[in-house]
Amino acid sequence: MTTPVSSAATGHSPSAVTQRPRRRRSTRWVAIAFVAPLLVYLVVFYAYPLIENVTMSLHRFDRGSFVRGGAPFVGLDIYREVVSDPRFWRVVSQTATFTVVSILFQYVIGLALAVFFHGGQFRLSAALRGMFLVPWLLPVIVSGTVWQWMMNPDSGVINSFLGVFGIDPVWWLNADNALMSVTIANIWLGIPFNLVILYSGLQNIPTDLYEASSLDGASPWQQFWRITMPLLRPVSVITVLLGLVYTLKVVDIIWIMTTGAGSSQTLATWSYGMAFGKGASTVIRYSQASAVGTILLLVALAFGVVYLVMQRRRED
Amino acid sequence: MRRAPWKTPVAVVLTAVMLFPIYWMVNVSLTNRASIRRGDLIPIDFTLDHYGVVLSQQLPYLATSVLIGIGTVLLTLAIATPAAFGLAKLSFPGGRTLSFILIVAQMVPAVVMSLGFYSIYNRIGLLNTVPGLILADSTIAVPFAVMLLTAFMAGIPRELIEAAEIDGASTWRVFSAIVVPISRNSMITASLFAFLWSWSDFLFASTLNREGGLLRPITMGIYNYIGAQNQEWGPMMATAVVASIPAAVLLVVAQKYVSAGVTAGAVKD
Amino acid sequence: MTKSPGRRVSAGVALAACMALAACTTPQPAAPSASGEATKGTTTADIKFWDPYPQRTDGSDWDKLVKACAPQGSTITRTSAPQSDLFNQLTTAVKEGNAPDIVVLDNPMMPEAVSSGLVATAKQANIDTTGVDANLMGPGIVNGEAYGVPFGSNALGLYYNEDLLKKAGVDPASITSWDALNAAIGKVAASGGKGITFSGVTGEEGVFQFLPWFWGAGANLNDVSSDQSVSAGQLISDWIGKGWAPKSAVTDNQSAAWDLFLTGKYGFAENGSWFASAAAQAKFKIGVLAIPSKAGGVAPVPTGGEFAVAPVQAKDADNHYANAAAVIKCLTDGDAALKTNETLGYLSAKPDVRAAQVKSNPVWQPWVKSVEGAQGRTTELGAKYVEVSSQLSEAIQGALNAAGDATAVKSAFATAAGK
Repeated sequence: MTTPVSSAATGHSPSAVTQRPRRRRSTRWVAIAFVAPLLVYLVVFYAYPLIENVTMSLHRFDRGSFVRGGAPFVGLDIYREVVSDPRFWRVVSQTATFTVVSILFQYVIGLALAVFFHGGQFRLSAALRGMFLVPWLLPVIVSGTVWQWMMNPDSGVINSFLGVFGIDPVWWLNADNALMSVTIANIWLGIPFNLVILYSGLQNIPTDLYEASSLDGASPWQQFWRITMPLLRPVSVITVLLGLVYTLKVVDIIWIMTTGAGSSQTLATWSYGMAFGKGASTVIRYSQASAVGTILLLVALAFGVVYLVMQRRRED
Repeated sequence: MRRAPWKTPVAVVLTAVMLFPIYWMVNVSLTNRASIRRGDLIPIDFTLDHYGVVLSQQLPYLATSVLIGIGTVLLTLAIATPAAFGLAKLSFPGGRTLSFILIVAQMVPAVVMSLGFYSIYNRIGLLNTVPGLILADSTIAVPFAVMLLTAFMAGIPRELIEAAEIDGASTWRVFSAIVVPISRNSMITASLFAFLWSWSDFLFASTLNREGGLLRPITMGIYNYIGAQNQEWGPMMATAVVASIPAAVLLVVAQKYVSAGVTAGAVKD
Repeated sequence: MTKSPGRRVSAGVALAACMALAACTTPQPAAPSASGEATKGTTTADIKFWDPYPQRTDGSDWDKLVKACAPQGSTITRTSAPQSDLFNQLTTAVKEGNAPDIVVLDNPMMPEAVSSGLVATAKQANIDTTGVDANLMGPGIVNGEAYGVPFGSNALGLYYNEDLLKKAGVDPASITSWDALNAAIGKVAASGGKGITFSGVTGEEGVFQFLPWFWGAGANLNDVSSDQSVSAGQLISDWIGKGWAPKSAVTDNQSAAWDLFLTGKYGFAENGSWFASAAAQAKFKIGVLAIPSKAGGVAPVPTGGEFAVAPVQAKDADNHYANAAAVIKCLTDGDAALKTNETLGYLSAKPDVRAAQVKSNPVWQPWVKSVEGAQGRTTELGAKYVEVSSQLSEAIQGALNAAGDATAVKSAFATAAGK
């Protein structure tokens, strides 16, 4: 796995080709030894839940058969029901909007902040950068509630602020606006994650590259597109990919603000509500929840494939 | 490096905007219950009572959370760092498939994970224990840490490793004496995430550690203020403020290390 | 490789392997069965007690009361979680043969808990249900069989801000119908105050708050989209539309609605008897009314409160049930019932105890009628109630979002009912 960072950082071409064959066989076993704990860990902790999840989506479980066992096998019936549910495609499109808009803003804002903090030294830089991460320390039940209150349509501070500019109060959390509102709160939550990773990515770019291009007369804007972005690519890809996976999974902030009401229902909150018998319906639907969960897994799988293809293309 | 003093005021303003919701939380935590929903910009109906309540009730949970956080970090690093090295720098067969599996692993719904853990823990006696919760919490961070560390370790120049090998260093020695010190930066980043995720976990705690008494994390302690039909937001917000202090200190310290730019210098050979 | 890290790795592998092994080789615990008799068992040293009152922490009055009920030679470990979490945790615990001895479960969950095989009968657990009002016992009776016992009850009423009403020239005694209530709210709004707070949040809590208007309009749970039902939806929708109720009602739970009322800006608040003592200590004077029905008179409110039950056990059922019998008896028998209810801020489920409560604590006076006229949510429909409740929840959300628009309210109820 060679990345542009390594070749660019050293100015040499990848040198794996120079390895002798005899050595390679022994390093293979060493490599396996290094990775073995992870392999065992994955098998022990993930295989069982993963299989359990798929199994549940193929049987019709309710609370009773969950306790006593004996849920009938129904094949793909649950999937058919879920997909033909009148809400399904609406929820899918809401999930897509929530995910894409969240990632886009989180990444762009996170990158802008990382570049801002990275280039040029200034007083309080480290402390302020540390402060940016504080939103992450809070239990989401608290930060979600604070957002809900700030977005209160009658007395919330956001509407009061907008009122100063003559903007009419917005009913942030009604059925139509809920998606926009939870997305805003989620972007806020995700900025620290993007900032931290992209900032450490920037730190791994050698400064002499910038110095050299400055001598060549490149403007900061050109430097950003010619040096920063290409060298940050592997880190960017990881950040966006993980961001996608985490955003698809987001339940807590949405749940606390709206319990998934109106347009803020996503596949993840839908699944959560059914798995726990929370939200509009207190009926517990383990099988449907697992089916939606499996669908989310498949989406992640698709992203995984895209990632692999991108990686392979880079290596060829 | 260039100096850019003009950035300080801009950074202060940006931080203020970012932290406004936190200010609001502090504001509410200092307000009497009768006024918490009035939307006052400053705590006019001022009280310190909520903090009194929190300091008398929540400190044990806070200590447990710190313990669990540190345990999760150590376990995560112990598994992820060698694995990332194996994936990034040694010719591990099937590395691509593994990184694919890691992505998928992160999508397994936490609900399903917690049910699986419950049934296993119940049989081997790990239910309601701190080690049990550390193990469970680490599952949130391990796949992430492996991916992150692999991406960063891939950037370590091969020449550095080969030079050491020519000097007769074993692979383990290369790993512990060269790769780990160089990766300090990204290891701190990974630790940070591992700590924060275990710090904010509620689902595993409420499933696997509900009868843990005082050895439950702060996310459970906060539930003392959520009754059947009544929630005490003042103490809850105060708990959040108090709970974020140790974690905030940790963040600032960790950021100092990251900003020291150890790796940037080392990688530049 | 040097030695120590290798050892560390292999230790990790060993632990992981043992976990995997345990998962694979230990046989599934025996399926919990419905057999067992409290009378054949003896109490054991450790008794597990689960309740939905996390706010009553270790050392609180309730905590002491419960722990004092440990039989000779036993200790009670009490743990709490919010209602719906508790139900799910109970489900998992029973499945894994790890159930507590006693659980305190919210009353509308009873039919589903019973039909899922989570709860032992009152007879098995030797729980005495005599003297409990039939309307309060209703949710715990499934197919004629009693499960557990409600020790107390709470109810919904209409709190009002006496200062604001006086200023607006409203006589609270005149509020006996929807028209009178709307007129009163209108006067409060005209005199500079705001109208009414209530909870319209998605889920059972919002439905619980809606049911007094629903039943008060003459609607029936068998028909969610009836004209009566729609008229109740129109009532709360109009409050939003006219700016009388906060728009945040779509996400406010009952606690949030109470906090809004405490700001002193609202004339009325629909909320529960659990706030009766808090109301007496508020900064302004708070009175309370029974919720009026549409045409006039008192509207039926849903029964609130929890059941103490004995969960089904996989092994040693006799002894676990004996534990349950001893502790529940200690909390509900004779004079103990009064102490239990006063500690929780509930009205007893037994009329004689209730009379004694009112005598010693006048704050309960306005609530007695509501509790006695309350209807069980699940009494009529049993386990099917949860489906109806989810339809109602959707309809309520639609109605509140419509903000008064009559066509939208009507279609919200029709859609929710699947018509």
